[in-house]
Amino acid sequence: MRKALSRNSFTVNPTPWLLPLALVCLLVFVYPIFQIVRLSFTESTLIETSNAFSIKSYASLFRSPDFVSMLAITMIFVGASVVFQVSLGFAVAMFIDSGSDRGLKGTMIVRTAVLAAWALPGVVTGVVWKMMFSEMDSGPLTALVRLLDPDFRPQFLSSPAPALVASIVANIWRGTAYSMILIYAGLKTFPRELHEAAIIDRANALQRLFKVTIPVLAPLLLICVLLVTVQTFNTFDLLRAMTGGGPGKSTEVIALGIYRTIFNDFELGKGAATAMILLTINVAMTWVYFRYIAGTEE
Amino acid sequence: MASTSKLKKRAIDAVYLVIGALIVIFFISPLLWTFSMSLKTIPELFSQKILLWPAIPQWGNYLTVLQNTMILQYMKNSVVIVSISIVLVLLISIPASFALSRYRFRAKRPFLFLILVFQMLSPVVIVIPLYRLFMSLGIYNELWSLIVVYSASSAPFTVWYLKGYFDTIPHGLDEAARIDGASPLRTLLSVHIPIAVPGIASTAILLAVQTWSHFVFPSILLDDKKLLPISVGLLELQSSSEAITVHYLAASSIIAVLPVLLCFIVFQKFIVSALTQGAIKE
Repeated sequence: MRKALSRNSFTVNPTPWLLPLALVCLLVFVYPIFQIVRLSFTESTLIETSNAFSIKSYASLFRSPDFVSMLAITMIFVGASVVFQVSLGFAVAMFIDSGSDRGLKGTMIVRTAVLAAWALPGVVTGVVWKMMFSEMDSGPLTALVRLLDPDFRPQFLSSPAPALVASIVANIWRGTAYSMILIYAGLKTFPRELHEAAIIDRANALQRLFKVTIPVLAPLLLICVLLVTVQTFNTFDLLRAMTGGGPGKSTEVIALGIYRTIFNDFELGKGAATAMILLTINVAMTWVYFRYIAGTEE
Repeated sequence: MASTSKLKKRAIDAVYLVIGALIVIFFISPLLWTFSMSLKTIPELFSQKILLWPAIPQWGNYLTVLQNTMILQYMKNSVVIVSISIVLVLLISIPASFALSRYRFRAKRPFLFLILVFQMLSPVVIVIPLYRLFMSLGIYNELWSLIVVYSASSAPFTVWYLKGYFDTIPHGLDEAARIDGASPLRTLLSVHIPIAVPGIASTAILLAVQTWSHFVFPSILLDDKKLLPISVGLLELQSSSEAITVHYLAASSIIAVLPVLLCFIVFQKFIVSALTQGAIKE
């Protein structure tokens, strides 16, 4: 009893402390999740709700070729974004860390520049990159490519594959800062002796990176990959402003797909079934993350 | 010998400078380009050759945007929604994080897990049922109900972050307060909150930057153009001005990000600390 008291200062009921939070979560998260599960098993439309149980929404979803291509697009978008964001973030973090070790001024400017891109609202990022990928003669990237190939006719956003690449580039631009900041924090607490030992052992820079730095930072990198993956699966506003999912549906990732199914096609049941896929991804990733941080905590 | 090593150091420093400049250019140029666009004339926008900077910067473009669009109204709405929602989320999250840090109860782990799920949840998943619920309750298209949603969406991060912060406060302090006869509430108010002020400030600043960009909730839960925050307002401008020209859109984008960028540059330290602590701490 004494021991319990000293470790936990208060033994009374915690309910009143948690109640406001619980109520708000009930309204904004729990009820909607419950509803989306229910709606996904109906043939509801946005105009007419049905309560009859049906798996038709899932059946038509899984049978539709659009669904398969949407999943493929989402996977490409997420995979490429995560790989490049984390590795670029890693590279920039290493650069800033070793730059400030050399006593170089201006590493702060680099950090600020990368972070500024992250701080912008996704809609603004979308609008800005749409301008960057303008296919007019006065478009900056058009002009840049024409330095090499004067006859270049840009199709950055009007042709499916380039549009997907352009979307990924914009997303890397926006998201790199997050990985950079996490990894930079890890580098700052990196045990110096390890590096010095490696240098004494005549390990070259590449060996030091792969044999010392990356293994030591591995837990942090895993957390970083997990968090970036969840965030990227949820991407919506950037693409809504930049491509709107087009041309056609070539940049329609899952969140945009849910939106279109419900608000353009009015197919509430099918949209809810698609939302269930994203919900499952969200919960599964959270589970991995939670297990992982709970494991490192002990 | 000494001079060659000095030379070598100089050469490496130069390489650093080049790499640093390339990184900065990649991350800054889209914004600079937008800024340049916002100051151009219409012929300059459609010129045959790329024009890095307008001959005469057209500051009047900004005046036109401010006068002819609802952008100031959108900005004002954003300020109202963001600031009230931050106050609200702190009010509900501080007691909850205190309890999660100090009380022992059986449902604690599932509770923490659930909150983490809410944090990772895509807004697109929950916004449709919310829209239907708000319609049936008659609270659709209201700023206050939207503010509750904003607060809820910020709560998971805030709770996890502040719980971590409270965990670092020595339990001996609670003990001392208890011996002095302080109630738990008293302890929270006079011991924990004063110590956690830097953490609370970091959270508030990070939330301000993040909620400024919220898009899905306001775009679905509001209908009245007069109520829109700037994130949705900007898209509204994009779709209405597409047929005309982009320099006004560029100017609007610059106006929209100005508060975020200022806040971000001034408080960068706080944002960085909230970002790292929030992710790494259990």
